[in-house]
Amino acid sequence: MSIVSKIFGAVALTAAAVVPVNAQQLTVWHDLGDNGIKWFEAMGAEYAKTRPGITVRSLSFPTDQWFGRVIGALNTDTAPDLIFNNYERVIRIETQTGKVEDLAPVLAGIADKAFLGEDDLRVAGFRGKTIILPIQRVQMGFGVRKSWLDKVGEKFPNTWEDAERVAEAFRDRDPDGNGKADTFGFALEAAKPRDLIHMLDLFVFGSGLRHTLIDPQGAIVVDEPAHAKVLEEFLKTYSTYRFVAPDTINHSFAEMYQVIEGGRAGMFRVGDWNVKKWDGANVLAGDFLVGPWPKFAADRDNAVVIAGMRGVAVPSNAPNKALAIDFAKFMLSKAAQQASLDNVGAAVRKDLDVSALSPRAQYFARAEGRLVAYDFPESIHEFYPELEAAYHRRLLAGIANPPADWKPFIAETAKEMRDLAAKLAKK
Amino acid sequence: MSAALGEIWRNRIFYLFALPFAVLTILFGVWPIVLSIEVSFTASATALKPSPTWVGWANYATVLADPLFVASLGRTLVYTVLSVVANVGVALGLAVLFDSTLLKRGNLFFRLAVFLPVVTPDVAGYVVWRWLYDRSFGAFNAALAGLGLPAFTGLSSPDTATLSLLLAELWHHTGFYMIIFLANLAIRDRALEEAAVIDGADAWQRWRWVILPQIRPALIINTVYALIQFLKTFTVVVVMTKGGPNDATNFVSYYAWQLFDQGRYGEATAMATVLFGLVVVLSLGVFVFGDREAAR
Repeated sequence: MSIVSKIFGAVALTAAAVVPVNAQQLTVWHDLGDNGIKWFEAMGAEYAKTRPGITVRSLSFPTDQWFGRVIGALNTDTAPDLIFNNYERVIRIETQTGKVEDLAPVLAGIADKAFLGEDDLRVAGFRGKTIILPIQRVQMGFGVRKSWLDKVGEKFPNTWEDAERVAEAFRDRDPDGNGKADTFGFALEAAKPRDLIHMLDLFVFGSGLRHTLIDPQGAIVVDEPAHAKVLEEFLKTYSTYRFVAPDTINHSFAEMYQVIEGGRAGMFRVGDWNVKKWDGANVLAGDFLVGPWPKFAADRDNAVVIAGMRGVAVPSNAPNKALAIDFAKFMLSKAAQQASLDNVGAAVRKDLDVSALSPRAQYFARAEGRLVAYDFPESIHEFYPELEAAYHRRLLAGIANPPADWKPFIAETAKEMRDLAAKLAKK
Repeated sequence: MSAALGEIWRNRIFYLFALPFAVLTILFGVWPIVLSIEVSFTASATALKPSPTWVGWANYATVLADPLFVASLGRTLVYTVLSVVANVGVALGLAVLFDSTLLKRGNLFFRLAVFLPVVTPDVAGYVVWRWLYDRSFGAFNAALAGLGLPAFTGLSSPDTATLSLLLAELWHHTGFYMIIFLANLAIRDRALEEAAVIDGADAWQRWRWVILPQIRPALIINTVYALIQFLKTFTVVVVMTKGGPNDATNFVSYYAWQLFDQGRYGEATAMATVLFGLVVVLSLGVFVFGDREAAR
């Protein structure tokens, strides 16, 4: 036997001894793009420290493709080990496939979970199953351009009256100093189904109310006095107040971001995931303040909105189900959560190191604002998406042709929604 | 039977060459359509399973009972008629102008200018049109303001959104129809026009009775093609309006896509099948009608 053969033989024997026989790869499908891929790489490296031989491979798809691929894969028994997305999207996967594993026993077995609040746990449930482990809380605050505030001599608006006054100043007093009347008070969006409701959610929950359209008992709330006041101001913001760009009715998220990042609007939604980009030199360069949504009533506290929850789910036909469940549990550990905060800008734990973040990012990371959660009606009323689509169309019709008096419009809308909800509930 | 087989055998070289393309057409053209129609008879939740639940005509019943779909279908038909008339009419007018002696200088330049949008990527073109219509910084309203005229509401009003899309699509497509007309005009028999002149026909009579019958093939082809194109209008809606405002531009293709995006595969493919049937019937109808008129 030659010396070369002996060396190769020794190397092969050593490798066989070192590499565990149970080398496995977990596959995760998500829609978080490059930041998400980096996050899963970081978590995979951390996980491998205690589970040698286990690798984690994440694939990111555009959201619409993610739906098609996940539904197709679960229905044809070619599922990945884990799926990661917003809770309402996982609900749709469960509705379409019925193949999302019930994680209730897994969640019950996790000792270190005190950081998960009641709302966090509520969104994890659907049809009696725990379909996700909550991993990233999605917070949305109210942002205002600081230099514009300084220019018009205003402070961060606390009440809706403040916000109206600031919006008028931003529209009429050339806050960017370019000598043109090309700025607006607010950047909002309305184009796609649900977009308008996403904006309304911010006004409603940010003002401390608990439901946008329907309560858990099935009662329509839009014409309740406190709610009707917020709704009327919301609709006027899109129309008669002229606080938004005239084309806002066709603006989706992409156009709304163009308005914000292009310096055409002074007040806007800030998601925790926006801060990293907007702190960048070529975007807003950190020229914005973050706080809670404006206060609509003296007796009700305003808030930062928890507009969603991203979570991890395990398909019941996952190829490595036991290992996938173990990794899902690991995603709530401090190391994995720190990687989440560092790479994606969101987490659910509150004991993470936030010192490296900007003051705006820290506002979210420390959960400094009073938090009010989206009411997650789709997890209670199965007919909610259809009801919401009709509500969206009704509000858009009003914005497209604004009535002289919004009060009868709101009363009529409430009646229509009650009739529709009753009809849908009977289906 | 044996005669047919004999015919095939005599033309075996032709069929041999045609076979790969026939296979590709069946595989990537016909088969997906068949699968799509199949999905329209299944429950959405099981549509992608190996053994889907068959629901018969239920998806079609749901779709046809949906007032939004019925409104969308009506809207699509109106938009199609207006677009076909506008595109074919403008293309014909431009083709006649460029073929005439009226526009000698710069003829090639203007032909290229009209045709260039056809080869421009449609998404890029429609993004620019969207900006042109923008009420905050768009060129249209800047020009109108400069002339002291009232603002054009463009894409932001249900009253003008359809017209705005129609103009953008006219810019994008009319050059293609114009080229077909120009090709047909170039191969017409000019001796017939000279004979008509000798017979004392005026310009209108020569156009109506001598030239128009000769370009009927282009007219039929363009009308059928435009009909198919505008019944399926999708990209311009995605880029410029997303079906809005207030559903004013929510055409059938876009509405079906929205349902598809929500995982309502059965209803979405039922809509697509209804649209497919409509495209086939109307296209064949126009083609047969045009052919019969030509045979008279």
